[in-house]
Amino acid sequence: MTEIVLFGIFGTVAIAGALSVILARNPIYSALGLMSTMFSLAVFYIMHLGHFVAAIQIIVYTGAVMTLFLFVIMLIGVDRSEDTAEQLPNQRRIVVGLGLTIAITTVVLTVGQNFKWVTAPGSGPANWDANAEATNGTIQAIGRVLFGADGAERTAGWALPFEVVSLLLIVAAVGAIALAFFRPLRKVEINPTETD
Amino acid sequence: MSDLIWSAIAPEILLVIVASLVLVVEVWKRPPLKSMAWLIGAGLVGTWAAWFLQFSRLQDLMELGSPGTLAFNNMVVSDGTAVIAELILLVILTLGVAMAWPMLDEVGRRSAETLVLMFLATSGFMFLVASANLVMAFIGLEVGSISLYVLAAIARKSRLADEAAMKYFLLGSFASAVFIYGVALLYAGSGSVSIDALAVFNGRIIISPGVLYVSMAMLVVGVLFKVTAAPFHAWAPDVYQGSAAGVVGFMAASAKVGGFVALVRIVGITFARFEVDWRPALAAIAALSIVLGTLLALSQTDFRRMLAYSGVAHAGFILVGVTAGRSATEAILFYLAVYTVQLVAAFGIAAAVSGPTSSGSPFSSYKGLASRSPLMAAGLAVTMLGMSGMPITSGFIGKLGVFRSAWAQGLEWVVVVALVASVAAFFFYLRVIVDMYMRDVDEDTAEVPDEPRLAGRLAIAVAVVITILFGLYPAPLLDLIRNVVS
Repeated sequence: MTEIVLFGIFGTVAIAGALSVILARNPIYSALGLMSTMFSLAVFYIMHLGHFVAAIQIIVYTGAVMTLFLFVIMLIGVDRSEDTAEQLPNQRRIVVGLGLTIAITTVVLTVGQNFKWVTAPGSGPANWDANAEATNGTIQAIGRVLFGADGAERTAGWALPFEVVSLLLIVAAVGAIALAFFRPLRKVEINPTETD
Repeated sequence: MSDLIWSAIAPEILLVIVASLVLVVEVWKRPPLKSMAWLIGAGLVGTWAAWFLQFSRLQDLMELGSPGTLAFNNMVVSDGTAVIAELILLVILTLGVAMAWPMLDEVGRRSAETLVLMFLATSGFMFLVASANLVMAFIGLEVGSISLYVLAAIARKSRLADEAAMKYFLLGSFASAVFIYGVALLYAGSGSVSIDALAVFNGRIIISPGVLYVSMAMLVVGVLFKVTAAPFHAWAPDVYQGSAAGVVGFMAASAKVGGFVALVRIVGITFARFEVDWRPALAAIAALSIVLGTLLALSQTDFRRMLAYSGVAHAGFILVGVTAGRSATEAILFYLAVYTVQLVAAFGIAAAVSGPTSSGSPFSSYKGLASRSPLMAAGLAVTMLGMSGMPITSGFIGKLGVFRSAWAQGLEWVVVVALVASVAAFFFYLRVIVDMYMRDVDEDTAEVPDEPRLAGRLAIAVAVVITILFGLYPAPLLDLIRNVVS
């Protein structure tokens, strides 16, 4: 019962926030709407035992990413009016067409025989892989999986992908410095035909 | 923890160590590029040694009858495909660094970042080709791709370069998002992200859930974008034309190796059960890439744009091999090995002709190149012949291999399309040679090309030797691949 009530409250908040992102005139309201949507999603994750993902959702999205958004909005200027002219001709028609195509394909495939969108209940990992366990997103469970202590035998777990992700951070840092920290080329020769 | 088999990721570890050392040394001592060359040289030698270690371990395993080994909780696999693909990536890195040297000289203090990104990109693509897990594959793909986005913008000094970097970044991120969405859907439908376990799962299910088809399509599209197959090629001409000339060959070549080996693993192992479903789709994409790439390459006025469209056509030729499934792995690896070396050499020569940080390389600069720089003209002529698939060059053997695999699987129509397009493609490859040898220098527009340094000359020589030697006598390379890829 609690879950249904919570779902009702935060589901409404999530949808209202998402709507305000696209409908609000003031970009700050849009950003705050996005934040409430992100926060509601974190609540959904907790309902599904995804404690870790919920915490990350709040730290990364509601915290870091939203701060960045607000920085950008402030830098551009809050009161700058939005250019509402359509940039791409026929964009709306194409979007509606593609959306209809996807919807019709979905209906046709779902109604068609021998076709199911997901594997039927009971045909999940537990049935075909005896070693698989039910998904559990608590922080303890994630720690066990990450460091390979979840089975009878200790393995490397997900340590290698976890470590390789650190390469991504190095690449991002090096890239940011190389591109943003402007140092003139040794020989500055600008071809007049290439620039205008 | 018996699965920490370090030799399985030895080259990657060495590459990351070298990249970290370069960063530390750069911040600490700010050495001139000449001193940095010693560190880079030692690092490359170390990486080659690590590769040989991995290779010899694999050979030991094969003598015991094992096709390879899984390591780190089944995250990476050290099998023949991975080892040969890592060899190709290592060759590309070595030649790429040699070819990029004049550019490193010109970008000044950004040279350290350029080298670090080249090494990290190679390590990322090595993780991709060695991955036995889709999450590992995605992380490897991203490490490689994001390094390449930055490399594309490393020497931007014109609007073309800015446009190239921005296009590559936005479209590339979109493709990566499509790929990871596919992985997520696959996990939702099956509960696993392991390439081998998914193959078992797909083999056992009785009905075919739609989520598997959608995720298969998304994975394939995400990878096809990286290898510039039509209709996902729109970024390639702008990026290859606009990015810093010195590294664009490395960018194009390493992304192609990583992408195609990942594609072979995904469709050839994970989705082997659904062969009847993906084969016609991939065959159609292959034919489209070949036809579109060839036709558009015919009408280009810029050498690097032409190479980009010819790259689209080559992606189609390799896809012809991919449609044959896992049986074509050897042919695909041979094709990748010879084509990517030619690609690095051709872009390197273009960088020497038009300037190492230039955007674009119009055909007019190549008129009469033979009289100005015989070495570069000869090198470019051989690589062009190799790319066109002329008999007695390795390009011919490569094409023969993939066409034969596809023919054996009953895809005659694609092979016929590819053969016709190969003949048409001779026109634009030969046009470059005619320009270089039979036209007079256009004194108004042509710049005097920088003669490549010793390292660049050696790299051109290696590409020429690989193109001709493996065209006349392909047995050593074919045997090397065949012995480890079972």
